[in-house]
Parts: sequence; C-alpha cells; structure tokens
Amino acid sequence: MSIDPSFIGFKLPRFDVRVDDAELARFRAATGAAMDQASGDCLPPTYLKVIEGTGGSSRTIVEALGIDLRRMLHAGQEFEYLRPIKAGDTVTVEREVTAIEPKKGGALELVVIASTFRDTAGRELARSRQSLLVRNPVPR
Amino acid sequence: MRKSLESLAQLPLGTIAAQWRPAPAIAENLRAYASASGDSNPLHLDLEFARQAGFDDLVVHGMFGMAQLGRLLFENFEPACLRAFSVRFEGVVTAGTPLNHCARVAAIDGDTVRLELLSETGDGRRVISGEATLART
Repeated sequence: MSIDPSFIGFKLPRFDVRVDDAELARFRAATGAAMDQASGDCLPPTYLKVIEGTGGSSRTIVEALGIDLRRMLHAGQEFEYLRPIKAGDTVTVEREVTAIEPKKGGALELVVIASTFRDTAGRELARSRQSLLVRNPVPR
Repeated sequence: MRKSLESLAQLPLGTIAAQWRPAPAIAENLRAYASASGDSNPLHLDLEFARQAGFDDLVVHGMFGMAQLGRLLFENFEPACLRAFSVRFEGVVTAGTPLNHCARVAAIDGDTVRLELLSETGDGRRVISGEATLART
C-alpha cells in the first residue's frame, strides 16, 4: 500500500517547546558530549530534531500517514540555523508534510517533513527538513 | 583546540579539517539516545523487531550518527558559526559497527566555509554524507 499523496500539506497544530536544561543535559550525555561545556550557549546542532519531536509529534505524523515503522528509514536531514536558540527559550514549532513522491518505479516512497522554529515574537530561528524513505511491499 | 573560521579559510580545498573515531554504539547507547531524543522506534531497541525488518542487529539511529558529526563540528570549529548542516543517510549502521567521521574543506567563499562530511564504517563503507556551512557571526 502506498502513501496517499493527499497528505501533502498535512500540518500538525503548532506547538510550543521550552528548551529544558535537564533534557538538554540528558541529550548531551547520550551523545557522549564530554567537552560540550565549551559550546557556551549553543544547543547541540541536531537538538532541533528533539525539539520538533516533542510530545511524540514525529510518531503522530508517521501514524497519520499509515507508515509501517519496519518499512521506514530516515534518508536525510537538513538544518538551517538563522538565530541562536538557548536553554530556557520557548520555541514555537510548526511541522508540515511537504512532499510524498514515488521513487524507483514505486518500490519506495519519499516523504518530506519540514519544520519551522520561531521565537515568541514570531521571528524565524531555524528550519529543519527530514526525508523518510518507505519501502512499499513488492507486488506479486 | 578549535580552529577559527579565519584559519579554516586558509586551508587548501580537500584538507581534512577534523576527524573522529568514536567507540561503536552498542545497545546501551541506543537506549540512552532513544530516551533522550524521544525516538523510540523499536528498530533501535528491540532485536526481534529489527530482525523481522531484515537487519542482523539493532539499527543505530541515523540521528545518533548525525549527532556525532555535530559534536565533531562543535568541538573543532566555533559553534556560533554554524549556519547549515545537512546529511544523507546512505547505509544502515547496526550496533557495534565502528565509524570514522570526517570533515573536509570543500569550498571557501570569503568568510564562508563549506565542509564536506563523511562517515564510513571501519571497512570503508560510506554510511553518511553531508555538508556544513560555517560563516562569521
């Protein structure tokens, strides 16, 4: 079963995430960041993925699209950093499915999910773009 | 010791600007990463599920590898200079696989330096490729 392309444009309701010190410390420990004290205020560069996934939002999108996790692989990830985000900041996240395209003659489906991160004044702080590849069952 | 953007911009194209071979990720690391990141896809945590999906062992989160590349960038260059960071996950990494992460100077345009990123397994299989853009703050 392939993914219904009418999900292009599917958005999650925007949500706020407070960048929590303790959660950040746990992420740094899990990625072995012994030397990260020297990074000053900067969040680890892939921490945007954690922020956008808050509250199980990634799972919500994958389930809405009816994707079987056994058939899904993370194919690509892009981040753009426009303004600094620090621990203690509150960030508003908006996520949208921006593409669903068959690949390799329909053997695979590419799904792109884009996120924007804004401060409380509405200024854009960062962007993220995730590409997923879903293997379609082989037709008999 | 971090390289300044200015010193980075003096390097010949193709120079390896940073390199790191971390200890291979094992099940314990994947559990810690899943818990800290919220990505609890059973491919990374449940061996039976991973085998059903056709893998020999637990699959290492792609984002765990990208986080290691992120550490490579932050520990070798000025964190505030990072403008863009992107990767393609080109191969599956299973638990226990050693990786070598590497950043090469790919382009220099004034104060902007583009690095080409590459992660390979111990036996030379490319699993992540990507790029990072650094610019003056």
